Amino acid sequence: MEKLSQENIEYMIEATNITKRFGDLEVFRDITVNVKKGEVLCIIGPSGSGKSTFLRCLNHLEEINGGKIVIEGEELNPKDKKLVRKITTKMGMVFQQFNLFPHMTVLQNVMEAPMVVKKEDKNAVLERAKMLLNKVGLGDKMDFYPSKLSGGQKQRVAIARALCMNPDIMLFDEPTSALDPELVGEVLSVMQNLANEGMTMVVVTHEMGFAKEVADRVIFMDGGKIVEEGKPKGIFSNPKEDRTKAFLEKVLM
Amino acid sequence: MDTGIIIKTLPILLKGCVMTVELTVITLIIGTVLGILFALMKLSNNIVLRLISGFYTWIIRGTPMLLQLFFFYYGLPFIGIRLSPMQAAIIGLGLNSGAYMAEIIRGGILSIDKGQFEAAKALGFNYSETMQKIILPQTFKVIIPPVGNEFITILKDTSLVSTIAMVELMRTAQQMYASTFRPIEIFFTAAVLYLIMTTVFTSIFSAYEKKLSVY
Repeated sequence: MEKLSQENIEYMIEATNITKRFGDLEVFRDITVNVKKGEVLCIIGPSGSGKSTFLRCLNHLEEINGGKIVIEGEELNPKDKKLVRKITTKMGMVFQQFNLFPHMTVLQNVMEAPMVVKKEDKNAVLERAKMLLNKVGLGDKMDFYPSKLSGGQKQRVAIARALCMNPDIMLFDEPTSALDPELVGEVLSVMQNLANEGMTMVVVTHEMGFAKEVADRVIFMDGGKIVEEGKPKGIFSNPKEDRTKAFLEKVLM
Repeated sequence: MDTGIIIKTLPILLKGCVMTVELTVITLIIGTVLGILFALMKLSNNIVLRLISGFYTWIIRGTPMLLQLFFFYYGLPFIGIRLSPMQAAIIGLGLNSGAYMAEIIRGGILSIDKGQFEAAKALGFNYSETMQKIILPQTFKVIIPPVGNEFITILKDTSLVSTIAMVELMRTAQQMYASTFRPIEIFFTAAVLYLIMTTVFTSIFSAYEKKLSVY
């Protein structure tokens, strides 16, 4: 499944020794994470462990206080706004709260960014948007406003919206945490398909089943540190650290 | 009540109405443009822009509009700026509604969920694209009720420019009263005309509000 890049870039994401503070509160320090092309990385851990903040640093929703982030060989330099925009548009982001644009229909939500940001031709975008909406199973909801959709449908629109920018990397910030339990599956299966197609993905999640089955690698974060990291099999069936064990016991009961 | 007087003066009063509506619409347009501009300035990271915007709303909202109109019409000629009544009226009314609109729009923008800004940023929208395509359209929906309110206030406040020689409905009514000495008939008719205008504008705004409530 892992397709290594033909280019000379070994890693899609290189986050080296990054540190993030909110005022006096240090969220994490000296975290290093590299992600290869086509890899699916799941980050798990208790709330407040810094995993969401870490993800948000990757596409510059939060500015880091130390270290460096390199995306596909280009360093995220906060002073160069144009470059930051160029780099971050290579990454699609899916939020816990969906954050669809409520004043636009489903189709407009998906089409807006490629047309406005990339100035793409409307017809080309329309075709791609329809294709993506069919892919996430919402071909019949294109003219609906988000308020008329269920949480699972909203999140699938959000995934289609991110994909319409043709990203190389997809970031998921607890994509199923705001969903009713019976709607989680439909979102996870869309994500699984995406993983099978070879998309590079970083997923912050509480869905251990998904992490176990789909992830190539799992990181367990707690208290602003990477406590343990490895293949899902090892982490889930044979965790080395006590903290990982304790956490998994709690969530897997 | 002498209906003959009403019938005789009605065409003249209606002419005054046209000017009142004209002033209201021009004021609302200027007010909206200034309002968006000063709202964005007040929300910007640049302290100078924030201070300018804060100073503007402080002055305009903190002093009577009548005084501002007098200043523009009677005061400015002393420093060599001579404005026609129309110019002074439009500047006075426009600046005034701009200050109130700025506060309404600022409140509207602040009410938009932070996630909308983040989603726009994550999709690569820059600041002006985010504002134009994502934030302001949603803001407009939120602010329709207070803007409708502001619109009606403007419509009634246009009567103040009768004091600087603008011939709108209020001024026309005063003139008619002076020539007929029939205050009841004249002012009653003028009041009904104001009521009709505010009612029409209120219904236009509620229709617009309904139209936007599709999402």
